Amino acid sequence: MAISTTDRRPTAPDRKRPARRTWRTRHTRAGNPGRRVLLMLQLATVLAVLLIWAALAAARLVSATALPGPAAVFGQFPQLFGDPVYWQAVGDTLNGAVTGFVAAAVIGVPLGLVTGTYAAAEQSSRLLVDVLRSFPVIALLPVFLLVLGSTPTMKTTVVLLACVFPVFLQAQYGARSVTPMIAETMDSYRVPRLLRFRKVILPSATPSVMTGLRLAATTSVLVAIGVEVLTTLPGIGHEVVQAQQGGAAARAYAYIVTAGAIGYSINLLSQFAERRLLRWRPPTHTD
Amino acid sequence: MSTRSPAALWQSLLKQLWLPVLCVAVLLLATAGSTSFYFPPATDVLATLWRELLHGGLVGDLLFSLRNIALGLALATVVGVGAGLVIGEIDLLRQATGPLLDFARATPTVAFVPVIILTLGIGSGPKIFLIALGSLWPILLNTISGVHGINPAVHETARGYRIPWRLRLSKVVLPGALPQIFAGIRVALSIAVVLMVVSEIYGSPVGLGNFILQSGSGFAVPETWAGTVLIGILGYGLSVLLLAAEYLLLGWYHQRPPRARRPMSRPLSRSEAKT
Repeated sequence: MAISTTDRRPTAPDRKRPARRTWRTRHTRAGNPGRRVLLMLQLATVLAVLLIWAALAAARLVSATALPGPAAVFGQFPQLFGDPVYWQAVGDTLNGAVTGFVAAAVIGVPLGLVTGTYAAAEQSSRLLVDVLRSFPVIALLPVFLLVLGSTPTMKTTVVLLACVFPVFLQAQYGARSVTPMIAETMDSYRVPRLLRFRKVILPSATPSVMTGLRLAATTSVLVAIGVEVLTTLPGIGHEVVQAQQGGAAARAYAYIVTAGAIGYSINLLSQFAERRLLRWRPPTHTD
Repeated sequence: MSTRSPAALWQSLLKQLWLPVLCVAVLLLATAGSTSFYFPPATDVLATLWRELLHGGLVGDLLFSLRNIALGLALATVVGVGAGLVIGEIDLLRQATGPLLDFARATPTVAFVPVIILTLGIGSGPKIFLIALGSLWPILLNTISGVHGINPAVHETARGYRIPWRLRLSKVVLPGALPQIFAGIRVALSIAVVLMVVSEIYGSPVGLGNFILQSGSGFAVPETWAGTVLIGILGYGLSVLLLAAEYLLLGWYHQRPPRARRPMSRPLSRSEAKT
């Protein structure tokens, strides 16, 4: 039942998301729309979704507090943009997310690269990491509230724990992606360990490491907002709760849209960074 | 894997087990006789877990949480795979919806938790909705890219032979996209567990999230730890279950010899890389 002839293992970083690569850069099939037409189409889709949203809100299938119309939501933005509270909330969320993310990268990448280089280390850590990774970090919140209290440090710690595993695993995977032939060549030429690390393992691991960092960046914002929703810590999540409890559903949605915009920009930014960093590589995997 | 001798199998098992066993042992030893309020002896935590499961209401909480995850994930899978097959098949639709879907996936669903629960109530319906909403995007996007990633030659052959669309869907498109769909479901599962916990901590009369919240705010430290450990077991158990299902359904895919010789001893657990 082998349908496709290429090996599309879901994991290899260089086969990641073929769809994304294709829809922008490589249009070989006949009948593909041009760039401008495509952009119009995408705009039309967004408009269509907004219209459906407006229709649903106007039809009052659910109460206006559960689903305010798009006009009401986007009408909040001029006011919010002039409001220091808004920027403070965005700053608080980003602060917690970025600090935790950076700490996770600093811990996860070297650890992953080292354990990925040595098969024994990888095997030993496998089961432990598998168990720990599937742990929903947000469930530690009540424990952390007891031990660390409701502080920004607690938020950063939760973000760190949530981000460190994707970073670690992708770094490990990247370090293991050195093909046996190259590894054996290095062995037989007795390439010194440091040189080997710098010139062979690091470059071949970079794509995978970047994937891990991209995953973790999205996770960091998600977790930071999750913590804010559940505690009294300031940030976007907290503002959503405040607005919704105050009956200002449109403002709550405006904050949610903000969170989406942050997540989306992080995605775009990391894709851009990935492309810049990996320019030397044949464009098999940039997306 | 099956060709390995029992001795080699034992050896690999030993290599993988020593560190977890060591960690558990250290944990047990370090906390034994602990008088710290926040870090009770690990044995106490386990005893509490056992007691709560047998005599407390923890089983009811567990079932409530499990049911929400199962229903939410099932809903997301049906909608995500269905819509994904359609969007993936129609190239124009896929390109037109691309940025919109990316934005939707980037929006953290946890931010919806207060809005949904405050307006729709603390019952299980809104929680299932939230879990389904969060799980939908990875499944949908992976289905789309799975369908799109099918070799064009396969597609054109199916079209060329005028294979009816129903047969094409069930024999070509769905099997071809299934590995990616499963990768999406795996990501969705971890999101579903997180949303289960968040929505129950935020507002719920029952459930594991509520259990740890109540224990924590009542300063019942062993109970809080016990609930947290149970959620960890739940998360791991569900992911193992999903892997088993994947092996049953996708044996044909994973048994194919990898084309490039890569260290692929753990292809399954790696596919969070997908999203």
